[in-house]
Amino acid sequence: MKIRALQTRRTGIRYVIPRFQGLAVLAFAAIIATGGAIFWKLVDSEFQRVFLHAAIRGHYAFDSAYDIVRDLLAWHLAGLFVGVFLTGSVLVLLLVAVTRHGIGKAVDSLRASADGDLSTPTGAGSIGEIGRFGENIDAARSETLASVLKIRSEAAALAAGGISPEEFRLRWDELKQGIRRIAP
Amino acid sequence: MSGPVASVNGPLIHRRYVFGLLLRLCVNFAGGVGILFVILYFALSRPLPGDYAEVFHALRNLSPFLRPILAVSVLVYALLACGSTSALCVYILHKVAGPLYRMELVLDQYRSGAPTRSVSFRNGDQIQALAQAFNLWIGTLRRDRQRWLATMKDAERLCLQDEATCRAEMEGALRKVAEDMARYH
Repeated sequence: MKIRALQTRRTGIRYVIPRFQGLAVLAFAAIIATGGAIFWKLVDSEFQRVFLHAAIRGHYAFDSAYDIVRDLLAWHLAGLFVGVFLTGSVLVLLLVAVTRHGIGKAVDSLRASADGDLSTPTGAGSIGEIGRFGENIDAARSETLASVLKIRSEAAALAAGGISPEEFRLRWDELKQGIRRIAP
Repeated sequence: MSGPVASVNGPLIHRRYVFGLLLRLCVNFAGGVGILFVILYFALSRPLPGDYAEVFHALRNLSPFLRPILAVSVLVYALLACGSTSALCVYILHKVAGPLYRMELVLDQYRSGAPTRSVSFRNGDQIQALAQAFNLWIGTLRRDRQRWLATMKDAERLCLQDEATCRAEMEGALRKVAEDMARYH
């Protein structure tokens, strides 16, 4: 029962990589704030002009201030929506492209690792979390390569001969232990 | 919008996921603009006084009066839109960030030398190819490791015979293992 409760709580955690999710949130917040500021600036200056013009013109054939600025407000609100949405969409597509590129490189490098290539860098880029993830994969691959090369040189040294039977047996067992530690 | 090398088993990030994100953002921003409209509508739709002079003065003074209302309504819009977009971003991007986080944990576990189990992401998670590629690599390493150990065990079996044969078989096995390992570079 306790385990189930813990699992339920764990699945509720959504904010796991601040450098990825946090940056996206900040970027969207900047877009919204910029859109709001531009809207405020434009509408404020337009209101000043329109209400003054309406006051001077006379013939007050309207019931409220809304009747005067209805079209103006509608256009500016539409502009705000389109501007923020289009900029947000560009950000989404950029985010997706960067993720696809970086993770695609990581996938390619892992597939190359399965074919024995553990030394070619992942090249996932240096942008935020994806770049750090690529470095993490490279570190795991290079550590694996180092241990394989170490075992290989030890095996070659043992195979070359000229070692006493006792020492040979000791190093043979150590070699087996070393092989067992690869991908445990 | 495909990756550097397209995944064999499907795209890293599905189009449906991207369209879903864009659609949710669209609804979110539309909602924000809708709220802004409602606030401004209620602020602007107060009836103007009936007298001509009063209407003139009301209109002359409306602009300075509306300025703080406009500022507050834009601030409310920004806060609401930022809040809901943040929640949306965290929730939707978790489909990518979650698997990345999980893979980082698995990589840390692998590098620490702890036993590593095969990775599988949840249904609906993106970048599934990453788990498949990692499992392929670890699987290949494990198969190689088993083969090297099997080669050495085969040589050990011959140690029941004389010492010289045993040593020759073991050295032969070591040469074979070293040659096999040469594919790793």
